[in-house]
Amino acid sequence: MNQIKYIFILFFVIIFSQSCGDKFLDKSPIVGETEENFYRNEEDALSAVNAAYAALQFERNPAGHFRWFWGDIMSDESIKGGSGDNDVFELTLLETFQTPTNGELLESEWKASYEGIYRANVVLENVPPIEMNENLKNRILAEARFIRCYFFYNLTTMFGGVPLADRVLEPNEYNLERSTEEEMWQFIEGDLLEAISHLPLKSEYISGDIGRITKGAAEALLLKSYIWQKKWTQAKTTAESIVNSGEYALEASYAGIFTNDGENGSGSVFEIQYMTESGGTWDAINEGTLTNVFQRARGAFDGFGFNVPTQELVDVFFKENSQMEDPRLKSTVFRVGDVMGDRGIFTKEATGFDYDYYPKKYFNSKNEEATFGDPAPNGGSNDRVIRYADILLLHAEACYHTGNESLAKMSLNMVRERARGTNTNILPDITANGSSLLEAIYTERQLELALEGHRFFDLVRTDRALDVLGSMGYTDGKHNLFPIPVSQIQATNQAITQNPGY
Amino acid sequence: MKNKSYILLLFFLSTQIILFGQSKEIKGKVISAEDQSDIIGATIEVKDDPNSLGTITEYDGTYSITVPSKESILVFSYLGMKTQEVKVGDQNEIVIVMDLETSLMEEIVIVGYGTEKRSKISGAVSVINADEISETPILRTEQALQGRTSGVQVTQNSGSPGSALTVRIRGNGTINGGDPLYIVDGIQVSGLDFLSPSDIASINILKDAASSAIYGSRGANGVVLITTKTGKKNQEGKISYDGYFGVQSPWKKMHLLNAREYAIIQNEAYIAAGKAPPKEFLNPNAFGEGTRWQDEIFETAPIMNHQISLRGGSKKSTYAISGNYFKQDGIVGGAKSNFERVTARLNTTHDLKEWLTLGNTLGVTHFTRNALPENSEFNTPLLRALNMDPVTPVRKFDGTYAYSPYSDTDITNPVNQIEQTFDTWKSNRLLGSIYTDIKFTDEISLKTVYSLDVTFATQDIFLPRFDLSYDPVLSDAPAQEKRLENSVIYNNYNWSNWQLENLLSYKKNFNDKHNVSIILGNTVLENNYHFTGAANSNLPSNDPDDAFISNTIDPIETQTASEEATSSSLLSYFGRVNYELDGKYLFSGTLRADGSSKFGANNRFGYFPSLSAGWIISNESFFEVDLISLLKFRASWGKNGNDNIGNYRFSTVVRPGQNYTYGPDETITSGSVATVAANPDLKWETITQTNIGFDVELWSGKLNFTTDYYVKNTDDVLYAAPIPFTSGTDAPIQNIASVRNSGLEFSVLYREKEKRVNYSIGGNISFVSSKVTGLGEGGEPVFAGSIQSANSFVTRTDIGDPVASFYGYVTDGIFQTQAEVEAHAFQNENTAAGDIRFKDLNGDGVINEEDREVIGNPTPDFTYGINFNLDYKGFDLGLFFQGVHGNDLYNGTVRYDFNYVNRPISVLDRWTGAGTSNDEPRVNISDPNQNARISDRFVENGSYLRLKNFQIGYNIPKKLLSKFRLDKCRIYISSQNLLTFTNYSGLDPEIGSIGNLDDPDSNTNYLEVGIDRGFYPQSRTVLGGLQITF
Repeated sequence: MNQIKYIFILFFVIIFSQSCGDKFLDKSPIVGETEENFYRNEEDALSAVNAAYAALQFERNPAGHFRWFWGDIMSDESIKGGSGDNDVFELTLLETFQTPTNGELLESEWKASYEGIYRANVVLENVPPIEMNENLKNRILAEARFIRCYFFYNLTTMFGGVPLADRVLEPNEYNLERSTEEEMWQFIEGDLLEAISHLPLKSEYISGDIGRITKGAAEALLLKSYIWQKKWTQAKTTAESIVNSGEYALEASYAGIFTNDGENGSGSVFEIQYMTESGGTWDAINEGTLTNVFQRARGAFDGFGFNVPTQELVDVFFKENSQMEDPRLKSTVFRVGDVMGDRGIFTKEATGFDYDYYPKKYFNSKNEEATFGDPAPNGGSNDRVIRYADILLLHAEACYHTGNESLAKMSLNMVRERARGTNTNILPDITANGSSLLEAIYTERQLELALEGHRFFDLVRTDRALDVLGSMGYTDGKHNLFPIPVSQIQATNQAITQNPGY
Repeated sequence: MKNKSYILLLFFLSTQIILFGQSKEIKGKVISAEDQSDIIGATIEVKDDPNSLGTITEYDGTYSITVPSKESILVFSYLGMKTQEVKVGDQNEIVIVMDLETSLMEEIVIVGYGTEKRSKISGAVSVINADEISETPILRTEQALQGRTSGVQVTQNSGSPGSALTVRIRGNGTINGGDPLYIVDGIQVSGLDFLSPSDIASINILKDAASSAIYGSRGANGVVLITTKTGKKNQEGKISYDGYFGVQSPWKKMHLLNAREYAIIQNEAYIAAGKAPPKEFLNPNAFGEGTRWQDEIFETAPIMNHQISLRGGSKKSTYAISGNYFKQDGIVGGAKSNFERVTARLNTTHDLKEWLTLGNTLGVTHFTRNALPENSEFNTPLLRALNMDPVTPVRKFDGTYAYSPYSDTDITNPVNQIEQTFDTWKSNRLLGSIYTDIKFTDEISLKTVYSLDVTFATQDIFLPRFDLSYDPVLSDAPAQEKRLENSVIYNNYNWSNWQLENLLSYKKNFNDKHNVSIILGNTVLENNYHFTGAANSNLPSNDPDDAFISNTIDPIETQTASEEATSSSLLSYFGRVNYELDGKYLFSGTLRADGSSKFGANNRFGYFPSLSAGWIISNESFFEVDLISLLKFRASWGKNGNDNIGNYRFSTVVRPGQNYTYGPDETITSGSVATVAANPDLKWETITQTNIGFDVELWSGKLNFTTDYYVKNTDDVLYAAPIPFTSGTDAPIQNIASVRNSGLEFSVLYREKEKRVNYSIGGNISFVSSKVTGLGEGGEPVFAGSIQSANSFVTRTDIGDPVASFYGYVTDGIFQTQAEVEAHAFQNENTAAGDIRFKDLNGDGVINEEDREVIGNPTPDFTYGINFNLDYKGFDLGLFFQGVHGNDLYNGTVRYDFNYVNRPISVLDRWTGAGTSNDEPRVNISDPNQNARISDRFVENGSYLRLKNFQIGYNIPKKLLSKFRLDKCRIYISSQNLLTFTNYSGLDPEIGSIGNLDDPDSNTNYLEVGIDRGFYPQSRTVLGGLQITF
């Protein structure tokens, strides 16, 4: 019996003294990897850059921040809409230029942009050491460069110079100060030029890769950067490089651009890809967009009724010919009595609201909705960020400013020609010169690109914002930039400074 | 050597018997001093005689026992009575009159890894015994803690059946999950929902650090030790039945506008905003009462409980077997929010060898819970019932459910919602242990316990198709009032935890003067979690019984699946030394080392020491106060920790699922990235607590008084403090904040036992003050508690304030005239007379974010409980009051962000012109002044006093019972929450924290306390019960 007891003691001693400790306490994730053992091969590299693309889809991170919030609602083209003033109250304040500095929408825009930049930086730091096909590696790195420049471009046009996170920041670098606007543009230009030298042309991608960043997309973003800085000569050259690549052509029909079939079409330079069938939820919006549900009318149309077009916008389509509307109007807004796809006829009673117009470009019919999951977070419309018509009009603007008015008119009239279609009674070629030509280019931009997230930024960069938006409360030297979210000024211990006027 | 001595002893004894033949038989009877009744089942043993079989008294209280000699000493014991020792001498018949155990201090109390006489404890420990809770129906174990002891605050997270409770021991010391550590029969468990309260023998709460330090890294928020009932040796089997049946009903409804009043208010609100009111409102008198939505969703719901227990033991074994069935329907939604639990338990012990004891505990629980969404602003039937306009009927003329023509999003028909909800949790849990206890010598023993805690749970959700349209072709109902495609979700959870524990104990008394006990132990445990989920949609059948993942037209197209798994482990070593000198001076020291897989290699191990001392002054020779039977002074100091965070937080986890779609076929292409920054330096949260206390007993234990004062500092609080967004990642968990709690606790109990009347009155009160003392370097205040109607957060945790204080604007009456608006700081563009005036706290002439301050504290100044029990001639009466005082609640029950919602009738006293009101603003559907912003307007006093339990019972007299061979038969009626005294205007003032407390990754829940977003209220219950033992 004694022996048995001693065996127990021995057992106890063994258990008590064994140094299984560290091994037993080593736990690593069961599902998923840690950074230390990821980034081993081609697949991981692709996976890394895909995650950076995923950041392009962010629209609610955590609050809503759509391109059309800033480009459309902030401008004269549309008003907020929704169920009333208190529905996303921050937008009510924003569009009336009572801009709050602590708003969660701007904060979300800021946050989502830096998440995208971080993800691109992760690619740029972790992919180079991977042993893999060099061409593919270079392409992936170039895609990542574009993505971070896209976010820097948005941030710079909205906030001015911002912290230039050109690497994955260490915790002691989180309080990075703002760079100047010049430094931002210098960085964006350099990075895009580097990307352009490695990116394939649109036609060089296999069909399954459609939607990836192309050389044309990077050149287009570079063009927009030059335009913003009024670097007209470089802008003109860059635009011509895109045109001369032969990769793009205006779609035959304007109305077809915003249909499902029109996605990634011949005039598509850069689109953010969305799809219906990803099973996304409000908490995890996978590959779908909320733009569809947000912009649809309320009531019987199952939407939230945001981004309501203004009378001023509709009037523009009658400016040239008060008797005969610009044909693009019917692809841009719904008017009372219009058929809203298979959702029924637009009556005010059916929407429950008194609005005369609803936006059409991102409207989806019921038969285009997700066939499984909640349709609201599974909208399928790609965000047409840069279209070829935009390139042509920017080219026209650049030509105008560099004294090439006839070249400007050529590009401008290409856009008008397509819009005109077979109806020779409207949209004659522009023959005007001088400031009338410039005015015509500006008007054309609005007609062609209405409700696509451009207007507010076009007004600001062409110094027309005060004229157009002044009556709504816009003041120059303040509202041309958005305020830096106060939470970020506090979180960085005032390392980030506020924009003037806020 | 030892066994040799036994043999010698045996030899010696047997020779005595043979040679001297002095063994004799003693007969007698055991009766109770209290009522002279026979005591059945009292144990009689011969002291220090391992050979004696011992015996127990019969049904008439008689016994007979053979003793070896005249010198033998008989020990008479019975639960709740004072143990007596009698030397046999020349007596042949011994009648024993047993007194009730009066001194609480003689109770044996379970402490961490051992037991201790209450008088010998130098830490702060509270005890709740089975008999305190057995007389009253307890629906859930945590409720047994509420109000019955000082230093413990318990609040209901929801009144819905099966929902958890928030338990805070000595305040909220952390912002990272303040739940105490629960140990059931030595096993660490999460939550107590698996346990039938009737199986509980005792609950002990270790409050100070010295008592809980032996639990190291997990004891920071206090430890609740629960022991389940076991059988007794040498006791004939007892069978008992304990059951009740009752009904629950809401005790209060809110006073809201009826349809006519609603139309009047809406008219006025539209006109004030310069808009035309809906035509039908123009004649409010056309409406009558309208729909009372609260009446439509509340109902009277049944509750029942049946428990059968068998307990007993032989000379070498004990057993306790029980089965329980409990079922509770909800007062909202009835069977759609119910809880059903079936448990079976088996506890046994066996003295296998003289030196070896084996035992086991085993509990098997099956429960089913049907749940409705609750405690949210967005989608709960309750919030919808409070906000739905009273004009809309429940049903259309054709009998189908109606929808509101005014509401198009969150506020939808709650009755239909309840009908469309199918959300069922089913859980099977097995919690068991086996142990061996080896006695090496009288002083040294080793206990080894292996335990397993396995849960298999499933969640089955069915979202049926429905459409409340008036016009089926146009499908004109708003999006939330129809679901054109059904879907089914099936989630499978598996938790499996195991634990191995070794405990070596040494206990010795030297010269009757020095008492020493030492324990040394270690624990290894591992927690594993595995989740698989699948979903499918567009099922051909809309019948919930046909809702299966595979039941679909095109399974490949619509099926989705997901999986998660985690694992964590803990390795610990611990030791304790107790030293008692002269029965007067008590010293105790502990040390525990814990290693946890949740922390990086840099900080894996944490060390937790404690020291405590006690001085029993009344045992000193100089102490000669007859009145005072016990006076003890206690002091303790110790440290322990909290590791309540998610797994792998020290490493950078690359998260899959960051996908994108390419190509005309829209192929989802997988992307992965680390979305949370890592913190390799992550370590324990540490709590340092100092405690001093007194225990006093007067009149030989009739009056018992205990008080404690403590200071509890929590440092290195684990928190994902916000980092600048430029990082591009979510914030890592860091050890940053610190919180200080200090408090004073009193408890008093007076017990009087007379011949016919026994009564006791007890009370306890706890004062806590808590304050955040640090938020890390440059730490920003933490905001939480989103309020949708104001589109902002309501709680702020900042240095100098209590955790999760309410934070907002300060109202200053109503602008009576436009001149007053002009004279005041600028509020909003269209602020007008009738709007609320907010204080310009910083005096800068503009009312903005900078004009907010702390406007309320959800933590009570004090909590208290009062207990009164009376026995008279078999009748018993029990009253148990529980209350909190000085806390605030945020009433967020009205969705002011929608202009069509119904409102409390207080709006009838709104401002309608100069001098009409100075606290209820004008109505305006645009609310240009944002009167609904977070302000003290919605902060209410949350104090309440509740008659938690009221019960009257009757014990059938023993004389009558013995005819039926029954030991006990008691019938009772009882009521919970019969009376509530409060000024709170919402449905229920007892509001805990919300939401998903079992998700360790969500920090904000702990920062949301006392926010009423349409809280599922507690019911008033009336029930009748029967307890029989035979």
